[in-house]
Amino acid sequence: MGLNAALTVPTTAQRPRDNGHALVGSRCGQCGAVSFPARAVCHRCGTPAPAEHTFATTGVLLTYTTVHVPRPGLPAPYTLGQVALDDTGPTVFGQVRMNGAEPAAGMAVRVRIGADGETPRYWFEPDRFAG
Amino acid sequence: MTSDDIEVIGVGMHPFGRFTGHSLKDLNRVACVSALVDAGLGVQDVDAVYAANAMAGLLQGQEMIRGQSVMREIGIERIPVTNVENACASGSTALRQAVLAIRAGSADVVLVAGVEKMFVEDRGRTLAALESAGDLDVVSGIGLQFTAVYGMRLRRLVAAGRLTVDDLVAVSVKSHANGALNPYAQHRKIVSPEEVLGSRPIADPLTLLMCSSICDGAAAVVLARRGVIPSAGRPTVRVRASQAATGYTTTGNEPSLTETCATAAYAEAGLGPEDVDVAEVHDAMAPAELIAYEHLGFCGPGGAGALLGSGATQIDGSRPVNPSGGLSSRGHAVGATGLAQVAELTWQLRGEATGRQTHQPRIGLAHNNGGWLEGESAVSCVHLLERTDPWD
Repeated sequence: MGLNAALTVPTTAQRPRDNGHALVGSRCGQCGAVSFPARAVCHRCGTPAPAEHTFATTGVLLTYTTVHVPRPGLPAPYTLGQVALDDTGPTVFGQVRMNGAEPAAGMAVRVRIGADGETPRYWFEPDRFAG
Repeated sequence: MTSDDIEVIGVGMHPFGRFTGHSLKDLNRVACVSALVDAGLGVQDVDAVYAANAMAGLLQGQEMIRGQSVMREIGIERIPVTNVENACASGSTALRQAVLAIRAGSADVVLVAGVEKMFVEDRGRTLAALESAGDLDVVSGIGLQFTAVYGMRLRRLVAAGRLTVDDLVAVSVKSHANGALNPYAQHRKIVSPEEVLGSRPIADPLTLLMCSSICDGAAAVVLARRGVIPSAGRPTVRVRASQAATGYTTTGNEPSLTETCATAAYAEAGLGPEDVDVAEVHDAMAPAELIAYEHLGFCGPGGAGALLGSGATQIDGSRPVNPSGGLSSRGHAVGATGLAQVAELTWQLRGEATGRQTHQPRIGLAHNNGGWLEGESAVSCVHLLERTDPWD
């Protein structure tokens, strides 16, 4: 497939970022590299138009921090984390809502998708069903 | 032609700190005029300008022709002025463009200037401007502040046993002690480990005294093709390597961006990390200096705490790092930072760093990163400078 396939991919606004319960991005059919959100050309091998891909709803919290400096619409403290989504999904940043519990590196988390128009669009919570 | 044919013939700074009554033009004027005076040149000796700034568009509303507007204040018109924005690495990126312009044969004498004015009436605007150093299409609304990115990175290393909280504190104490010796520094107060640990939490494990803060300032460097400007009888500093790289989508298993960029710089110069006598590294949060030790090859994985503990990276050690106080204590006037590093290294290599002079350095390394993509800096620049004259 020639690079010109990247000319006709959906616009960024047309590409879904979630399906209501999971994050959606792209996965390269050539090399398997994943990206959230989807891209027009694979960042690893340069193949155009990587396929739309729905990622696992579960992942591992690699690291986190509690931020004590508020931002508009975001009272402090709040917790941010870096999560590696399961099934060789992408590594993404997001808020971690612990609902009073203490976060820990290596803990299983589950992605939550907000309602339409909600900010942020997604966040993570402890995965209560994890073994 | 190689980069060996380019010399740093002048450097200058406006002190970093809070300068409420000083405009971008005032800050830039002091840095540029100081650098030109240092070089023994007038403004009409300059062939081209690369002007670095990151935030004047959002903070002062000067989105376009930032360089042209500050340069006309010091009588620089007509010659090409190119504006450079690469977040916190704007200054070093501009320096690299100047190196390339001279190598390309299009200029003999180039002024590289970085200016930033982050103190505005509403601190929230400055924080919002800093957040634009990420890919907003991806991270907007998450609340991903600079401090948080570093906090997460450091927590991971502490959890893996590669750093301790004591290491984070100790390097912050060192940063402040060095800054206290630097007349250009924003933070010039010695602090104790207890004060660092007890200061306000920002993004754990980071506390206030570990972090760089909002800062005004400017720095400038004059580069020239070797032989064009006669040496003023003082030690010559030349550019041995000038490398830049962009961050990549990481799976966590690749070498870091800094490592990639530094490897290219060492290869360009035919040098290795063991040859570096003094370094100015990108420590927007003081503990990031420890990460840089590993990524620049100053120690092996997990060796940063021991290297710090050995005293080697102190001003009187065998390989001093951030004698200026680094970003966290000298200050981090974003677009000026990369050039402030080069000013410091030039003073160190010439033996002009007064109360913070390191012992007869020959090779200096400047490491300046900028922005972030998910999990990695967006930009990295590494420059290697050499004092060509022997020390007496």
